[in-house]
Amino acid sequence: MLKLENISKSFPQRGIVLDNLVLEAGEGDSIAITGPSGSGKSTLMNIIGALDRPDSGDVKFRGNSILNLSNNELSGYRNRNIGFVFQDHLLLNHLTIRENILLPLFAEKISSNEYTEKLSYCDLLAERVGITGLMDKFPFQISGGEAQRATIVRALTGKPSLLLADEPTGSLDAKNAENLGSLLVELNREFRITLIVATHSVDMASRMALHMKLDEGKLKV
Amino acid sequence: MKNQLLRFTLRSLLFYKRDYLNQTIIIAILAAIITGSLLTGESVRQSLKRQSGEKLGKTDILISSGLRYFDPSIADRLTSLQRIITTPILETDGYCQNFATGATALEISIYGIRKDFFSFHGIDSIDIPEGTAAINSVLAEQLGIQEGEEIIVRFRDTDPIPENAPFAPEENGENSKVLKVARILGTCCAGNFSLGISQVLPRNIFMNLDDLQDADNQKSRVNRLLIANPGKISESSIYNLLKEILTINDIGLSIRKSEVTGEKEIISDRIFIDSLLVGRILNELKKGYPVLTYLANSLKTKNGENPYSFIAGLPPDVISETTEDEIIISKWLADDLRSGPGDEISLKWYHQVGNLLEEREKKFIIKSITGNNVIYSDPSLMPEFPGISGSTSCSSWDAGIPILMDRIREKDEKYWDTYKGTPKAFISYENAKKLWGNLFGLATAIRFSGDIENEIIINTLKGKIEPSDAGISIRNVRISGEDAASQGVDFGTLFLSLGFFIILSCIILLSFSVSIFFDSKKEQVKTYYALGFRHSLIGRMLFNETAIISVAGAFSGVFTGYGVNVLIIHALNTVWTGAVQTNTITPGFDFVTVIIGFISTILIAQVLVMIRLRNFLKRLGSDSKERFVIHSSKRNLLSLILVSIPAIILSVVSVLSDDSSVLLSFTGGTLVFIALILSIKQYYLTGLKKTLTGSERFYRLSKRFYSFNPSQAVTPVIFIGAGIFAIIITSSNRLTLSEDMLRNEGGTGGYLLWSESAIPVKQNLNSETGKKEFGLYDPEFKNIEVLQCLKLQGDDASCLNLNHIKAPPLLGVDPAEIIRRGSFSFAAVKEDSENKNPWMLLSDKAGTDIIYGIADQTVLQWGLKVKTGDTLVFRSEKGKLLRIVISGGLKSSVFQGHLIIGEKYFREYYPSVAGSSVFLIDGENEETEQMKTLLSDRFSNYGLSVESASDKLASFFIVTNTYLNVFTILGILGLILGVFGLGFMLIRNYDIRRKEFALLMATGFNVKKVSKYILFDQVIILAWGILTGTLSAILATFPSLKSSNVTSVTLILIMVLAVFFSGMAILYFSVNRVKRTDLLKQLKKD
Repeated sequence: MLKLENISKSFPQRGIVLDNLVLEAGEGDSIAITGPSGSGKSTLMNIIGALDRPDSGDVKFRGNSILNLSNNELSGYRNRNIGFVFQDHLLLNHLTIRENILLPLFAEKISSNEYTEKLSYCDLLAERVGITGLMDKFPFQISGGEAQRATIVRALTGKPSLLLADEPTGSLDAKNAENLGSLLVELNREFRITLIVATHSVDMASRMALHMKLDEGKLKV
Repeated sequence: MKNQLLRFTLRSLLFYKRDYLNQTIIIAILAAIITGSLLTGESVRQSLKRQSGEKLGKTDILISSGLRYFDPSIADRLTSLQRIITTPILETDGYCQNFATGATALEISIYGIRKDFFSFHGIDSIDIPEGTAAINSVLAEQLGIQEGEEIIVRFRDTDPIPENAPFAPEENGENSKVLKVARILGTCCAGNFSLGISQVLPRNIFMNLDDLQDADNQKSRVNRLLIANPGKISESSIYNLLKEILTINDIGLSIRKSEVTGEKEIISDRIFIDSLLVGRILNELKKGYPVLTYLANSLKTKNGENPYSFIAGLPPDVISETTEDEIIISKWLADDLRSGPGDEISLKWYHQVGNLLEEREKKFIIKSITGNNVIYSDPSLMPEFPGISGSTSCSSWDAGIPILMDRIREKDEKYWDTYKGTPKAFISYENAKKLWGNLFGLATAIRFSGDIENEIIINTLKGKIEPSDAGISIRNVRISGEDAASQGVDFGTLFLSLGFFIILSCIILLSFSVSIFFDSKKEQVKTYYALGFRHSLIGRMLFNETAIISVAGAFSGVFTGYGVNVLIIHALNTVWTGAVQTNTITPGFDFVTVIIGFISTILIAQVLVMIRLRNFLKRLGSDSKERFVIHSSKRNLLSLILVSIPAIILSVVSVLSDDSSVLLSFTGGTLVFIALILSIKQYYLTGLKKTLTGSERFYRLSKRFYSFNPSQAVTPVIFIGAGIFAIIITSSNRLTLSEDMLRNEGGTGGYLLWSESAIPVKQNLNSETGKKEFGLYDPEFKNIEVLQCLKLQGDDASCLNLNHIKAPPLLGVDPAEIIRRGSFSFAAVKEDSENKNPWMLLSDKAGTDIIYGIADQTVLQWGLKVKTGDTLVFRSEKGKLLRIVISGGLKSSVFQGHLIIGEKYFREYYPSVAGSSVFLIDGENEETEQMKTLLSDRFSNYGLSVESASDKLASFFIVTNTYLNVFTILGILGLILGVFGLGFMLIRNYDIRRKEFALLMATGFNVKKVSKYILFDQVIILAWGILTGTLSAILATFPSLKSSNVTSVTLILIMVLAVFFSGMAILYFSVNRVKRTDLLKQLKKD
């Protein structure tokens, strides 16, 4: 489903971050990418999520290169195929949890039927992650763990094929981190979503089917 | 430690350079406006002072005899006694024409000068020989004349005999001369010389003094003495010096000897000798006695009548004592009337009432026939009546009274041939004084019994006559001019007020900018706290950073302020000339003013910073989550309903009613304003209620931000709305002529025409003879009514004069006529006037030498800086202090610039003002234009200028309207600046919300959609602000909009479009900036 071919990326201040990196992920895979700070984990996640472009190489999604897409097409690509979970939950404080979760649905025109269908799907997800009772609350009214769970629901609202989680437990305590890790793995299995997690956490990495280490710009198993 | 702190501060300045640059720009604009306004005030003041100095030339002190004259040799004697430089001049009014083209200039100043006038001013090369004139360039331009061409100058008569004194010769008071223009003078050559106080350049003619003198009278006379006073000798010293050298000859008195009695007598070239002088002379010379001789129309007994005889009043020690009803007649008269002692004799004479003659009569009993006393046969008892004295026969008299020639008999002519003006009858002096004493004096001569040398008389009186007794006053005109300029219209304050919106915009912007900036430093400050920095130290560090910015902004701003000043002065000299009535204001620089502007700006900025800093540090401790407060909309909804109901009712009534009151509309408009502000708040508050589902979910998504932060939507709406509201409301105060103003109770008094003459008109234009003389019986003058006003020249105190005026022109008006017509209305009346019409008070006296006066309220408030009930002090023609209590302030009227007193008292205190110079004329409306043409023609010898009263009234509106224009333009600029500032705030706001926008991008929103998301509410806010201001202001000013005027509607349109497009431009710019900003980078960073 996802294929990264010889991806290289360098920054003036940091030098080469990714060096002819290769990665392949199939439907329902769960991959943990670990590495020291500054090793290029986030850069790699951004390139996969079409938030950044590599200096060279190609990113193919379902056989098609996404690097040739225009900005608008990239927005659509993200909206339809990618779900993001960030370290900071990035919920908008002026929207309720439900509205935050529905946010991806407002990015593109969708039919009423589709909207209704996705709405039900969100309710299902919310129930699944245990935030049904929080749907009408605002982000500042809930805890960090709850907020991160809401973020996961938001990431899955558009029924993406690929869930990218960049340090999802970075701002959580141990218990909440463990819960979130379990939840991500369960969702990966239940919904057959490809899951790529960039993390420092060994515990989180051990939960994934494949554990890769990013070192000197290359992924090593 | 201090160095370290400074390094921190500088580092911070460098790091936050973009924020600081924004703040520096705002502070610089603030400093530029404040300093520019203050410098404008200083420039106007300096220009007025400079002009005053240029007009005066070397003149420091002025000795003036007002309407009277004195001998110019005083100048030479003063110069020889004291080291002061003097020059005498004869100042009069008139008008002139280009002899070749007929181009006319009315209301010009004419100066009769000696050769030393120009050398007095430091110019030795100019001489004005007889038959030539020098004119200033302003006049030359108006006349379209070159050097070498000719002008005809008509000027007010300079005869010492007051034109309305009894038996003054009947002339129209006008003289004329054709003169060759020898020089055209600019400012450098005293061309704009003037003793008046005004920023408007005068139109001057300088003639040889001899050309201005009456050809029949060889004696030279002047009425002003200019003194250059480099030694700063005090006015009182100069006055005392003048008193010391003043002789009776200097003030028009002379000594002659009676050929019959051999007695010496003092006579006056004004015919009558002032009571003050009579008293002063008799006090010094005990041998003197007064004589008062008058011309009787007839002396009649039962047996006969004698026409036109002189009657002398003499003291009892000179002639036999007579009672009040007794008269002594000459043998000739007794024979003519065939009457003798014990017979009743009726005496008739003309009594001068104003410029009217009233025949009066008194019956006497003949006490005796004149005896051998030589005084009874003295022809020199008759004064030197200029129209009588030199006549060869009675029939050639010009006695200033109607002489019925058919009454003059052969024997009367023979009497004249033989005895000249020898009186035919005698009464006591006291009796004569009662009957014929008048405003011009109480004696026609002062005689001295016995043998007395002329020198003794002159020397005895020398130094004993107070100059003020002869109407001579002394004034430091240089200081007066400078004071008038210093205390004049303060353009500094004015432009600070007019630029209110720009200043307000800067303050609001700065406040926002500082507030947002502090917020952006929250993490930095938290770190300081965490590291153990004291609260006060952190405060000081932040304050120091902003203080450096304030100083930098203010420093660059004050110099830009000079540029602003130059721009404003340029505008005042060109497009805003209506406010200053001249194009001679020059931009000035004043270091103290710049310092004031600099310090004021820093103070404003730093006070603002301190307030913001305190709030910021106070908020630091609080949890950021507290900022997300869910606002209830219920209270706002209740307020909205409560305000909307009366707002709608009042607005509907105001719009539908034909005569809705201004207050009603204003209240309605203001309530609509409040209702619209509450509505936008309600719109956003209700955004919290519904979950974002349904078709318009995207737009409601963007609305949500403001639901939590309603003030971020309401504040710009209030700012834009209030700005537009204030500008429209203020501009709706533009003064325009309304129907009401043309009514009797309006500013024109219901009169059609306002006219002024260079030469006073003595005739009563409402009388049959007056109308006949000037052809006012023509059909065009049907129903003509003329309100004639006497005028004493002064400095224009209307809004057209920028100087502070203390001596405005006085108008003598018949209040009865105004009361009868119900003309004009009052804005203020004297508090304790017991509900008496202030016009009626003009006929009353408030005490000895205290009378009442009326002026336009605007003149009182701004020109004279007094209020009703206050007293203004003038000096009467005779030098006495005249106090004028302000009994009423008129609503804006054609009289603006003048102080009105009752005609009766005008004549009493200024008897030498011979006729009317100001006329308010009413007639048939449709004949107005025809009347203007005909009147100009009929009164061409008087230099009459005629304009419609409505135009005259409207001419005063120009100043106010120009101020309103300036306010509107600066207001719109301020508003646009404010809108731009709001845009700048939006950009900062975007920076804060960048995460939010980045997330949208991450979740699949494209740039266009994010832009839409941002723009949607900004456009709503901008449009709502414009709607709020415009709609409420239109409703508030509906009556004036209805009655006027395309200008207001155009102005509203221009403003709305200007604000909308500038708003859209800044929104586009700011959203574009969001596009450029790589939001994704932000996301990656997070």
